[in-house]
Formats: sequence, C-alpha cells, structure tokens
Amino acid sequence: MRVLYTSLKYLAVVLWSTFVIAPFLWAVSTSFKDFQSVTNGATYIPWVDFEPNLEGWRDLWKSPAQGGVDIVEPFFNSVFVTASGSLISIILGTLAAYALSRFTFKAGFIRNGDITFFFISQRIMPPVVLAIPFFIMLGKFSLLDTLAGLIIVYIVLLMPIAVWIMVDFFNKVPVEIDETALIDGCNPLQVFYKVVLPNSIPGIIVAGMFCMIFGWTDFFFSFILTFTEVQLLPVAIVALNSSITPWWSLSAAALVSVAPLVLVAFIVERYLSKGNLSGALK
Amino acid sequence: MSLIASNLSFKPGNEWHLDNVCFEMSKGQIYTILGRTLAGKTTLLKTLAGLISPDEGTLTLDDRDFGSIPVWKREVAMVYQQFINYPHLSVYENVAFPLKQRRMQSDQIKARVMKALQQVGLDGFENRKIQALSGGQQQRVALARSLVKEASVILLDEPLVNLDYKLREQLREEFRNIFSSEASKDSILIYSSTDPVEAMQLGGQILVMDEGRILQQGTSKEVYENPNCTKVAQITNDPAMNLFEGRVENGRIILSSEIDLELPQHCKGLATGSYIFGMRAAGITLNSTGFPFSVELSEISGSETFLHIRHEMIGVVGLLDSVQNFNTGEVVRVQFDTLQLYVFDQNEQLVSSPYRGLE
Amino acid sequence: MAKIELQNIAHSYNPQSAEQNYALNPFNMTWEDGGRYAILGPSGCGKTTMLNIMSGIVQPSEGKLLFDGLDVTKLSTSERNIAQVFQFPVIYGTMSVEQNLAFPLVCRNYEKPAIDAKVNEVAEALGLQELLTKSASRLTADQKQLISLGRGLVRDDVAAVLMDEPLTVIDPDLKFRLRRQLKEINQKYRSTLIYVTHDQNEAMTFAENVIVMDAGRIVQVGTPKELFERPKTTFVGYFIGAPAMNFFRCERDGDYSLRFGGNTITTQTSLTELSASQLKLGIRSEYIKIVDTIAQNTIPARVQRVEDLGNHKLVSAVSNDLDIKVKVNRDTSIPAEQVHLELPAENCCVYADEILVQN
Repeated sequence: MRVLYTSLKYLAVVLWSTFVIAPFLWAVSTSFKDFQSVTNGATYIPWVDFEPNLEGWRDLWKSPAQGGVDIVEPFFNSVFVTASGSLISIILGTLAAYALSRFTFKAGFIRNGDITFFFISQRIMPPVVLAIPFFIMLGKFSLLDTLAGLIIVYIVLLMPIAVWIMVDFFNKVPVEIDETALIDGCNPLQVFYKVVLPNSIPGIIVAGMFCMIFGWTDFFFSFILTFTEVQLLPVAIVALNSSITPWWSLSAAALVSVAPLVLVAFIVERYLSKGNLSGALK
Repeated sequence: MSLIASNLSFKPGNEWHLDNVCFEMSKGQIYTILGRTLAGKTTLLKTLAGLISPDEGTLTLDDRDFGSIPVWKREVAMVYQQFINYPHLSVYENVAFPLKQRRMQSDQIKARVMKALQQVGLDGFENRKIQALSGGQQQRVALARSLVKEASVILLDEPLVNLDYKLREQLREEFRNIFSSEASKDSILIYSSTDPVEAMQLGGQILVMDEGRILQQGTSKEVYENPNCTKVAQITNDPAMNLFEGRVENGRIILSSEIDLELPQHCKGLATGSYIFGMRAAGITLNSTGFPFSVELSEISGSETFLHIRHEMIGVVGLLDSVQNFNTGEVVRVQFDTLQLYVFDQNEQLVSSPYRGLE
Repeated sequence: MAKIELQNIAHSYNPQSAEQNYALNPFNMTWEDGGRYAILGPSGCGKTTMLNIMSGIVQPSEGKLLFDGLDVTKLSTSERNIAQVFQFPVIYGTMSVEQNLAFPLVCRNYEKPAIDAKVNEVAEALGLQELLTKSASRLTADQKQLISLGRGLVRDDVAAVLMDEPLTVIDPDLKFRLRRQLKEINQKYRSTLIYVTHDQNEAMTFAENVIVMDAGRIVQVGTPKELFERPKTTFVGYFIGAPAMNFFRCERDGDYSLRFGGNTITTQTSLTELSASQLKLGIRSEYIKIVDTIAQNTIPARVQRVEDLGNHKLVSAVSNDLDIKVKVNRDTSIPAEQVHLELPAENCCVYADEILVQN
C-alpha cells in the first residue's frame, strides 16, 4: 500500500514537471528547425525527426535587410532599462524604507503605516490605469520613445516593491543596534550604511530580484511608451509576428529573453538554499 | 569630574517618564538606579546617552554642557539587557568598531581590544562569529565593547537580567574586577536594576527611582538603614518591608485590639496619633509568648523560612532562621522586634528609624 | 488532575544511529497528583525538552508517557488535556481580560454560569478583578503574564499545569506574591503544578520536590531541604544556594577526618570504605560560624571582603589559598583581619569523585 502511494506521488511529480518543462523543450527544438521542418507536420526530436540548423539563431543578429530579425539592440535596451530602473528603485526604496522603519512621521492623521500602505497600494492598481497619464506626462517633457522616459516610469513602478520588502526587513533589525552604533560614534547616515545595510543584504537581494523580474518582463508600458527610436525586447519579439512568422528565430529570441532571468534565478537560488532569505519571501 | 543633572523631565504622552530628575555623580564611582519595571530607569539611561531628548532640564559634565552634544559625539558607552552586538562582524571587529569610528591607529586598536577581551574572559574568541556564542558570551562581548572606548560615562541597563541565575552571580563577581582596571577607574558607572540584593552587592551609591522620580540617593548603607519614605522601604528590600497601620497612644504602639507593643527608645518622642509602621521580615520571628497569627503560607529559602502570616487586617512576612514546615491555617505565636521598627507619617515620609532615631 | 508517569523516556537527535546523541538521557519519573514540582537546571540542560515531551509539543524518541495509567505518548497536545504557561505572555489581543480567561472553557462548551463562576474565582486569586472588562492588549507585561497564568488555571480538569519560567518578566516583589498565589491555588484545588526554571531561589521556594538537571541528565530529586543540606553531587551543591556551597580538596586523615591546608576536620561520614583519590569537603556558607577561640573543626582565615546584602553580610575569606564564603547575620561582628571559622561536623558533606558519600 505504501509502495503504491509513493509511486503515485512520484508519477504525479513527473507528469507535472513534464507539463511545465514541455514548452521550453518545444521552443528549444523549434529554434533549431528551418522552414521545411516547421511547415511539413509536427516534428519533435532533432536528428531523428529533422535536421537541426543554426539559421534561427544566426538570424538574431542579422539585420532585417539581410533577412534576419536583429534583436541585439532591443536586448541591450532592455538590459539597460531594467538594470538602471531596478538599481535606482532599490537605492531610493531602501532609503525610504529605512526612514519609514526608524523615524516617526505625522501629518494630520497620517502615520508611518499609512505611508507604507500608500506605497504598496501602487501595485494593487491595474497598470492600464496609468497608461494615459504617463503617455501625456512623458509627451509634455518630450520623453516619449526615449530610454530615459522608460527608466523614469519603471522607477515609479518598481520602487514600491523595494519599499514593501525592505520595510519588513528593517523592522526585524532591532532598533537597539542602531542606538549602539550611534553611541559608538556613527552619525545617523553611517548607522544606515555601516550597520543596518550589511545586515539586510538578503532583503536587498530579494527586492532586487523582484524588481528585475517585473522590469524585464514588462510589455505593457514599453509597448505604449515607445515607437521607433527605442524598442525593448518584449515588444521586439511580439513584433516578429507577421504574415510569415519565422517560428525558428521567434523561438530562439524567446529563449534569449528568458536567459538573463534564469541566470539571476540560479545565482539567487544558491543564496536561497543557504537559508539566508527565509524571512524575506512573501 | 562630575555629572550633574538638573530638573530632567520627559513626558511623551500622559505619563511622566522622567519627573524633575536631579542628581550629582562623581568619577570612579558606581551608581545603581534601583526601581521597578517602568520606573523610568531605561528612559533615564537613554537620556544620559543622548538617545532621548528631555523636554526640560540640563545635563552638565565637568561644568560643560553635556545634554546638547549629539549621541555620536558623546563620550558614553551602553550595554543593553538584550544581547546587542553587530551580527555581521566577528568578535574582534565588534569590539574594535567604536575605535575604528574614531580613526585610531590599528596597532593601538589591537592593543585595546585584546586587553578588553582579556578583562571579560574572552581571549581566544577574536575570530568567532557572534551567532555562535552563548548568551553569556555575547553579553561579555557587549561589555568589552563598552570598555574599549574608555568613556566618561558607562551605562548598563539591567545587563544580567537575561542570563541564567548562576551565570548572573558569576558575572557580578567578575564585574568588580572588570571595572576596577586602569582604563575605567575614571569613568562613572551607572547600573540599572530591579533587584535590591544586586544593588547592595554592587556596593556603590543607590538612586531609588519610581514613576520617573528619584526618591532617594545615598550609599547602600544609608538607603538601607534610613529609607526616606515607604516606597523606598518597599523597593529596597526583598521581600518588601512589611508596612502596617497603627497608633501611638499612652507610650505604646497599638496595632490592633489585641496587639500592642512597647515604644522603643528611638520612638520615645513621638506625638500621639496614627502612623504607618515598617519592619523587615527579619524583625518578625516566632516566640511562644507572642501574639497569635494564622499562617497563610510558608516558603523555604536555603536555610531559612519565610512565613506569611495574618492577624485580622495585618498581613506580614516573617523570617525564621531555620527550615520549618507549617500548615495553612496553623496558629503561631509571633513577636515583633521593636528595635527594628520604622515609623512613617501619614504622608509616607520617614519619622523615625532604628539607626538614626527621630527625624 | 492526574498522576503522570514517564517510563524510560529519552530524546535523541539521531535515534537511528548506533551512538545516540541524547538531549535527554533515558529516565523514569512519576509526578503525583496534586504535587508541586520544579525542574531546575542551567540553560541547555534539557528541562524545556522534558516539559515539551509532557505537553506533547515534542515526541520523545524513546519511552512511554502515561496519564493515570493511560498511554498518551501518541496523542496530540489538545488530546492530552494539559495547560501550559510560557515565559512570555500569550494573550489574545483582540479580547478583553474576561474573554481571555474564559476562552479555554468556551472552547470546550462549558455552560455560561459555570464559566463566569470559574473566571471570577481565578481573577480574584490573581488580583485581576478590576481589569476584567479591559482590553487585554493594553496591559503591562506582568498583568499579561497573569492572564496567561489564569488561562492555565481556569480549567480544573487538566492533568497538570506546566509552566516554563513564567515569572521571568515579573518584578521581584510581585514574584513573591505570585508564588504565594500559585501555592494557594495548588493547595485549594490540588492541581499538579510543574515549574521549569534556572533560578534556584524560585525552585526552592515554590516546590515540594525539585528535580535538578544538568546536560540531559537528572542529577537529584528531593525536597528543597534535602537538596540544600545534602546535595548528592558537587554540581547540585554549586547550583543550589546563593552563594554556592564551599568546596575544599582534601585527603583522608583517619576514619572520619579529613585534612586540607594544614587543618583537620572531623566529619560524621565514615571514610574507611573509600578508595577514591578525589576527595572534597563541602559545607554551606550559611553553616560556617565565626568564633573567637580555636576549637575542634575551626580553621584560621583572613578576611578579604565583607559585602552588605541587607539582611545578611557575605564574608569572603581566604585560608591557605582556599576561598571561603561565609554568610552571617547583619548584626554579627566581623574581625577586620584574622578570623576563626568553625565548620560544624554535622553540616560537612564529603564528596568522592564529585558524588556524596552516604553512610
């Protein structure tokens, strides 16, 4: 009876894993196909069903004039915008979170808890609500279709995440440690970066990870706020859909867009498995 | 060098955390702030450290204004009840932290840190991680860090209260050695506690605090022998001093219809009237010709027995110097040693003490 | 209330391997119905583990647990019918004091009149009548702990009330009163109370029987008097009593006498059977007397320090490099330099390889 139960458990796990991994495997095998293999019926395993070739991959950096799809520039645009947006969000968000954790704010009936909630509530709102206001605001400052404009919008979207995670983290560091550092001769700013920050590295890593994920995968705002000059990766990939969709380079491009996040996940996972982040994840 | 506080007051809400606190402290001495929880001891220590700004009052050190110096520039050190150390630093780095802040030379830092670690009994522990240490060891690290700075004022907020009973005893013994070294003998040591026995053992001056006010300041002998009011008498004794109401009439002390005592020498000049009388447990013992009291509870403590007894409205605790068992409700005969009697007036102020006579 | 038996209970972190790493070494223990017990030991000795095994929070890796003969080892905590009070107050913040106290009874579907009667009874015993309607979250730490205690006592059908250092957050003078109330409740309801602590004073004043533990082993079980006068090992002699027992390394000098530092001390223990090399003489500081003349069992010593502890004085003396502590009454006169200390034979305990010699 026990054996049956255990084998059913394992079977369920195997089935579910297959279900999850299947799309990736499909994309991988499709990226090595060419026109023939894609159109002449379903083919699955390379070297058995079809001949793999690197056409799909090579097309990624060839310009459209040469018959390629060229996602190199969108890729680096995405990297730049996500990295800068996340970095600035974390810096500003962490500073704001420290203030909300340590100092008491009072304006009428508004207290610290209300201000923190105000930050977090930004993420409850459906993004589409912000579409038109951002469009108009960026237009007024001639920031539409620019990297800088996008970065500003991303900071607005990602900072609440940083604040949300870091406030909780800072609240867990006893305020007596701050006091001890003050007594030991640190001014308030030094207390922050010499004592509190080193103890909150796990929180910063988690906050950074979330910011990067939300920034990198954003399609909505990069679609609305850019046209021709600047193009980000999600938009570039979607744009590959045309009358004749190059499924092979599309799959390759999709894999390329997932790669950086997978890399980040691997790096953070090592940290996670050390148990350092046990309190940070919600 | 002296630290003088004048009229320190702090009232964050509806209650006084510090109510007109005044004292004078000299260098090289240890002062114990004795009081119950929420008496304001931690608030006072934090105000001296600069973490709290009082609403009113001044603090001067050697006639220089001390109260307006920001925390990070004040010459103070503080040890908390919870074991507070920098978790991301090793033991050595923890103790060296304040000296690095001051930009001292690294060989000077090393000398001071090693000396402090030796004083608290942690040599060999320099490279350990804080999380790997036991509670007692962590607190020793905090103590070492407070010593390296050679600060003018060292504040200790019930530092032993979270340690095991026996470890507490051991560290208290070591305290004497730790704080009598060259480095700290010019400092003012301020130690807060709720335990009167600990206060007596530390041996310095005691400041009795209650509800934000300093009720009495004096040597441990002085505060023990002549508590200036009933509150001080209760706070400075464990078990608390027995207090009961009575009258002085016709040269006798009348406690109830059945109990009256002869007026002892140090009370001979008392006017007729109602008073509050105080006596420590040690003054109430068994005697076959004494007054009848019924036993409510008996507690054995080491080689002695504490007896909780009652006679009508008078409920007191007596001390017997041997181990005896009693049944609840048993009637025993009790005598009061009038030579140990304290007299307080209706305003709870001391009128006569066995050591000093009438005020 | 029930009789609780622990049969061959042990707890190990790696039960599968051949060499066990026991947190709690195998033992047998019986807790009589209505008794008042204390489990005493330093941090990490396994006392909390023992308590958690009884309440069901921890499953022992070996052994059986019986309540009134019924095997409850596999039952969950709620099925075992145990009340547990923790070190820090556990209260339902959204409810009033009255609702907090009534909660265990409400969960078990008691009738309202019965609940009210019980809640009032417990509230009166703990002095909480005034606070019944107040919100529980607004009280001080010790009041909250009283509610925790009250919740543990409101059910009189529990097998036992287990308390894990419940008086840690309470002020010293309130501790006295609470211990008294716990004892009164125990005497009135005959509820089994088991109290875990590292504070030997609390254990000794509270319990009828004390279980002393160290490093996962039960070292001695006995009444406070037995533990004080005849500790079975030098560890118990050190751990119980403030200050710890005095120990002197010595050699055999005849059938009943020991020799150390040039002194000969006669004991009441026969030493003829002993072959052990490590002999120690143990005597409590309370029993050593300061005498004027040299007589049998007196040793000369030099006074180093006299500490004023209020009710007593603690004399630290040295005799031939041996440290001795003597506890005397406040009124005793103590010579300035040289003293003669009498070690009465009936109070001397002889230890061979750290274990008491009994005959």
